[in-house]
Amino acid sequence: MSLVDILGNALGLGPLGPLEDLLLSFVGAAFVGTFILLNTAVAGPWAKRKITAAFTDRVAVNRVGPFGLLIIIADAVRMLSKELIIPDGVDRPAFDLAPLVLVASALLGFAVIPMGNGIQLADPEVGLAFLFAVASIASVSLVMAGYASNNKYSMLGGLRAVAQNVAYEIPLVITAMSVVLFAGTLQTSGIVSAQAAPLVTIAGVSIPSWYAFVNPFAFVLFIAANMAEVGRNPFDVPEAPTEIVAGYQTEYSSVYFVLMYLGEFIHIFLGGAILATVFLGGPAGPVLPGIVWFTIKIWAFFLFTQWARSALPRVRIDQLIEIGWKGLLELSFVNLILTAVIVGVIV
Amino acid sequence: MSNPWIAIGALGVVAVVIPLSMMAVSSLLRPRVPEQGKTTTYESGEVPTGTTRIRFNIQYYMVALLFLIFDIETVLIFPWTVIYRDAVSQPEIGLVPVLVPMLVFIGVLGVGLVWAWRNGAVRWVRSPGRERIGARES
Repeated sequence: MSLVDILGNALGLGPLGPLEDLLLSFVGAAFVGTFILLNTAVAGPWAKRKITAAFTDRVAVNRVGPFGLLIIIADAVRMLSKELIIPDGVDRPAFDLAPLVLVASALLGFAVIPMGNGIQLADPEVGLAFLFAVASIASVSLVMAGYASNNKYSMLGGLRAVAQNVAYEIPLVITAMSVVLFAGTLQTSGIVSAQAAPLVTIAGVSIPSWYAFVNPFAFVLFIAANMAEVGRNPFDVPEAPTEIVAGYQTEYSSVYFVLMYLGEFIHIFLGGAILATVFLGGPAGPVLPGIVWFTIKIWAFFLFTQWARSALPRVRIDQLIEIGWKGLLELSFVNLILTAVIVGVIV
Repeated sequence: MSNPWIAIGALGVVAVVIPLSMMAVSSLLRPRVPEQGKTTTYESGEVPTGTTRIRFNIQYYMVALLFLIFDIETVLIFPWTVIYRDAVSQPEIGLVPVLVPMLVFIGVLGVGLVWAWRNGAVRWVRSPGRERIGARES
């Protein structure tokens, strides 16, 4: 039962014709897009500053509106009305396309995420594979941005981004597969419902069999690979402000900068959404409605990335490659095989 | 039931329209003041020297090649993980015929990875240009 069907039932339509299906799909897609943009709008100009300020014992954005919240609107107007400077010698189509691809690919991933209360735009049987496929399109846009900018720092940033993404993509997918071994399906709704069964009951409180509890080793591996995939500390080598200015986004200004920045935040939330779906029972949780729990879970991952940003030093590029290929990759395969053996024996 | 791919396509359209509309709004708002020197690329405030389209570290290719192999492997493991539990629970199949072929498959790749490791494919070497310039030891 996807969001489109629920909308159709609410409007009292019977079996959906192709045109009705298309129209309702656009309504659902607009809702999902707005929801994600709202989250990133709060996260980017406001929450990130507040969190970083709290970590470094400062006061930040408290002048405009209650708690400084109106800074979101002020910043949006400010950034959009900046002059767009296109540097000499950029590769024009690629330079313009990179921000577009980054935002679009990250947004598209949310199509198959179950957000609770039946809010799931689409539920194809290959959901999880689709999710990883779409999430990794981002590295294409980072290479485009890095190469097209005609800047040496951007070039280095783009190369680093792709080296990092390819190194951590395999552990990410392999670790997620160890969960599929339990669930036996790639459908995201199936993975979520497989986590609803109680694992143990302690003093009347039953703990659900979220895969983070069933397989904590895989959970830790997945978080590490996920942090690298979304390019956050300690794996923020592609941007590395103290080494290569801003990496692939050095030459982006005005609305293009907004889009690159927005794309990154959507990507963090997409990473959190994948984590919630695969390991934290999706939108499941006591008392509060599902959509609230889903929002709490993706924000928890966002907070975790910001904590890591304030607390952890950055790894070097050679360390990054070695951690990926010599550490996480082997561990993820060990995890897959051990999980397969355990699942095979207890079934 | 609605077709999930229509909904995904709709979100794809929305996901492109959102950034395009932001670009449109920005093009209405922003000033345009062309000026000499503004359009040079940023190189820490210096005048940029040389071209950007330079040769870069071969290491990036090695990592990409390794990735290709393992990525195809993950594609082949995906269907196995989906049917695994069902297949094992059927009495006429059992654990061994499902698990052992995949162990052999992963084992072959493991041997390949050990080979690549010993040949230094995943060791980050410094590009030869750096020694020529005389960069100090890190």
